[in-house]
Amino acid sequence: MPEKAFNLTREMLDHSFAETVAPDREKLLTCIQCGTCTASCPTAYAMDYTPRQLWRLVQLGLRDEALHSRTFWLCTNCYSCTIRCPRGISLTETMAALKRLAIAEDVQGEELAHVSRFYRAFMETVRRHGRNYEPELLVRYFFNTGPLGLVDQAPLGLAMWRHGRISLTPKPNGARAEVETIFRKVAEVDALRSLRSERDQEAHA
Amino acid sequence: MNYTYFPGCCMEGTASDYDASARAVMIALGNELVELPDWNCCGATGAEVLSHLLSVALPARNLAKAQASGDQIVATCSSCYFNLFRVNALLAGNPELQGELDAVLAGVGLRYDGRLRVRHLLELLVTDVGVRAIVRRAQRRLGGIRVAPYYGCLVVRPYAEFDGPDLPVSMDRLLTALGASVVPYAMKTRCCGGVLMTTQPDIALKLVGDLLGPIRDVDCVVTVCPLCQINLEAYQREVGDRLGTPLQIPIIYFTQLLGLAFGLPESDLKLQSNLMGMEKLTKRLSQLGAWV
Repeated sequence: MPEKAFNLTREMLDHSFAETVAPDREKLLTCIQCGTCTASCPTAYAMDYTPRQLWRLVQLGLRDEALHSRTFWLCTNCYSCTIRCPRGISLTETMAALKRLAIAEDVQGEELAHVSRFYRAFMETVRRHGRNYEPELLVRYFFNTGPLGLVDQAPLGLAMWRHGRISLTPKPNGARAEVETIFRKVAEVDALRSLRSERDQEAHA
Repeated sequence: MNYTYFPGCCMEGTASDYDASARAVMIALGNELVELPDWNCCGATGAEVLSHLLSVALPARNLAKAQASGDQIVATCSSCYFNLFRVNALLAGNPELQGELDAVLAGVGLRYDGRLRVRHLLELLVTDVGVRAIVRRAQRRLGGIRVAPYYGCLVVRPYAEFDGPDLPVSMDRLLTALGASVVPYAMKTRCCGGVLMTTQPDIALKLVGDLLGPIRDVDCVVTVCPLCQINLEAYQREVGDRLGTPLQIPIIYFTQLLGLAFGLPESDLKLQSNLMGMEKLTKRLSQLGAWV
């Protein structure tokens, strides 16, 4: 991607952004832009901003630019950047936090639509059964993104079934009820935490 | 010895051959994988995207339940291993997260504080059981069959608990000791694409091409993770089209190969589950692999 220039204005900068997305803001601010992360990243070639550039956006507080990037949606959680970063920054965890924030703020985008719908379909399946059940996951996902995708998957599905690697019904298990409780409790604690942080911010202002 | 075993979702379906061969190999070594009752999904890579706390609480329920049967838990799937291990790593020195986890798990009458030791089966085999004991149990040499060991990501990254994060060697050593000819494989820890195979297939197919493209003249690629196995195995026609060369490389779990060395019946190892067909490999083994 060609270099992009910004005429920075105060309004564009969100100085709390690094705090919001980085597990350790102080560390992220020490990024020296060496590019080891980009060189280690298997999907960097397909990103709009390379990982190195993304950290710069976060450091500067260019929140909108960062959140609309496709970069973090292409992160596969391989942790290659994290283990090689000479500053020891939790880069992969920051990628995940960017995904969470983009979903929470309902940012629109093609990659987001596909990847986030997949994760949502996955977690809905897990919530319903306590475990993942592959056929249901794929049906849920492709119904949300384009049922034609299921047709593409059909030959592989059939082969997997013939080789005894897919069952036609989920295996019953005793985890379901407790998993449902955990989903509910987590939602409560998450809501409480964000309420508290909003109050703190108001009190600050 | 009995080990509390966390199978994970893949083991009930797409990786039932990994599950079967892992159990069979452990029994052959005089150990047993005892399945954790009523385990739940570890959250894979999905929970983290919805809620950080959920990505801790889901695996923590399993850990809390496993406390009743010992001080460690064994996983076979790299992603499950990572998620379970990560709970301990995140809880250490984080009382705030511990408090939130307590509030969630109290809802199901459980508590977990990070005390369980989380193991991967590969680690257990090469450190606790030991390469020497495994070689002693082998009934035939792997006869110089050419294998490329593929580790993928999460079994060694980011935690690198028992092997190097960039160039691990534990599986290389194990397979060499059993008589296989391990080829140098520079891509052994490069990512297989994970869920991008479903959501962004164009990118994932390129990544798998990067992994399989450099491999020449091997009898099989050996894996330790269900998602790696399926990504490397199930899309070889598409990947071959992209590389301009047809591919037909068996992708086998390390436990299946151990089982073959132990002389266990193919049905116990579920070799028939492999989409590529194992006939060529097993024929090569019977030609090359002398019984000891």
